[in-house]
Amino acid sequence: MSISPEYVLQVENLNAEYNGNRALVVEQLGLREKELMGVVGANGAGKSTLVGAILNWSRGAAKVSGRVWLDGEDISSLSTPERVKRGLLLIPESQLIFHNMSVADNLAHHATSKVDGRHIYSLDDVYDLFPNLALRRDNMGWQLSGGERQMLGIARALRMAPRVLLLDEPSIGLAPKLVSAVLETVRQLADNGLTVLLIEQNVHAAIEVVDSMALLDQGHVLAKGSVDEMRGDPRIAEAYLGGEAS
Amino acid sequence: MNFLQHVINGLVIGHGYALIAIGWTVLLGVARLVNFGHGQMYMLGAFVTWFSMSSLGLSYWVALPIAVLVGALVGFIMQRIMLNLTIRQDLVSVMIATLGFGYILEGVAALTFGSTGQILDTPLSLRDVYWGDLWFTWQDIAVVLVTIAFFIALKLVVEHSSVGRRVRMVAEDPKLALLAGINVKWVYLGVFCFEGAAVALAAGMVAPRTPILTSMGFDEVIITFVVVVLGGIGSVTGSYLAGLGIGIFTAFFGAYVSAAYSTAAMFVLLIALLVLRPNGMTQSMARH
Repeated sequence: MSISPEYVLQVENLNAEYNGNRALVVEQLGLREKELMGVVGANGAGKSTLVGAILNWSRGAAKVSGRVWLDGEDISSLSTPERVKRGLLLIPESQLIFHNMSVADNLAHHATSKVDGRHIYSLDDVYDLFPNLALRRDNMGWQLSGGERQMLGIARALRMAPRVLLLDEPSIGLAPKLVSAVLETVRQLADNGLTVLLIEQNVHAAIEVVDSMALLDQGHVLAKGSVDEMRGDPRIAEAYLGGEAS
Repeated sequence: MNFLQHVINGLVIGHGYALIAIGWTVLLGVARLVNFGHGQMYMLGAFVTWFSMSSLGLSYWVALPIAVLVGALVGFIMQRIMLNLTIRQDLVSVMIATLGFGYILEGVAALTFGSTGQILDTPLSLRDVYWGDLWFTWQDIAVVLVTIAFFIALKLVVEHSSVGRRVRMVAEDPKLALLAGINVKWVYLGVFCFEGAAVALAAGMVAPRTPILTSMGFDEVIITFVVVVLGGIGSVTGSYLAGLGIGIFTAFFGAYVSAAYSTAAMFVLLIALLVLRPNGMTQSMARH
């Protein structure tokens, strides 16, 4: 397989292993411009490993191989900070903000150069998007609620001029109402032109906002397609939607 | 000797302790690492200053920056060698490596500068100030002023600059800092450079108060350890206050009890305070 110009972000033979145990084997996956793709799967399916591998990042000691292209550039040999500087922004599951820094301090760190025309969200932009953060700008990260932390995590990424946003389980630990609010914000960002890869275990909530979906199982992509195609996929329907394939 | 003289001695000693410890404060706060070669780096700073003045004929004002540069370079080399251990946060190996590095520095210094004691006289240490019954030197005044200026500058940089913010981000969560586009390895290297430079500056300022030997360094690393732990690991303000407190305690203990037991007494004080306040006197730069 070779690089396809239709994709903003593309991965090929992306593998990850922990202490010799294979956790991820993705032959090919691509995101189109302004696409919001959901990656779903059970616990341990390799969802978090996938987004970490795209950035060559892990909280553990994952060994990653394979190729990653961003806007046609092979970034496989770049370090994590270099990939971030090119606009690959990951908001990890839990521990997604600096708890001992204020909200304002968390947001003060932003992209300053070489953004290749990408939009750097200003402080006003992010405070408009998340008014709660504006009210709590002097609070420390550890003083925020789960939903506010998620918002701050996204806001922090927006300040870094994202080309592609990778969100790892933003709904985890949130009340249903907050889950909807966070995912609607993600949808809004995609509508505004951002390309987003959304890792989500809450398939019911994710399916309402994404454009396309990929089903991950034991590190392999079992199926992928538009949200309508995937809604009708029996594997999705049986495992995540209570058997109600439409 | 009157009470006020002991206060002055304590203030000078305390500021000296704080200045010696400042590099370790940042090192421990950011990299979560210790450097048991810190004392030998202090010794090296003192001898580079002395050598630059006595053998190269340079003025104190040129010798001091040279010592700072050499200190930064030693810190850089040390961290470059240990970088993988640092990234893995392999503390036991880092402790052993820094301890070994300290002994190598001591050996190299003994071969280069000799094993006999030297006096590091500076234009400031030779000028006495008498104020009524009180006595001190211009070097003492410089130690106090430089320490205060250094701590204020460090606090401003850590809390209000982009560099300081990056350092705090690495201190709190190096993995998350990577996702903020921060080159964590360079931050670690920078912090070790800073530690080397800071302890060399401290040596150039404080060492003129006592004879210098290439075998010295143990007391300095112990004092630094006490100051940093007592101040709250990684806390800039805490280290300053702890240095000051220990300095005054040492001066009074030495004057009224026994100078020979002041280090032991310092540890008794440390143990007592740690029992009462396990996190030290103040909050650290990486903990809320």
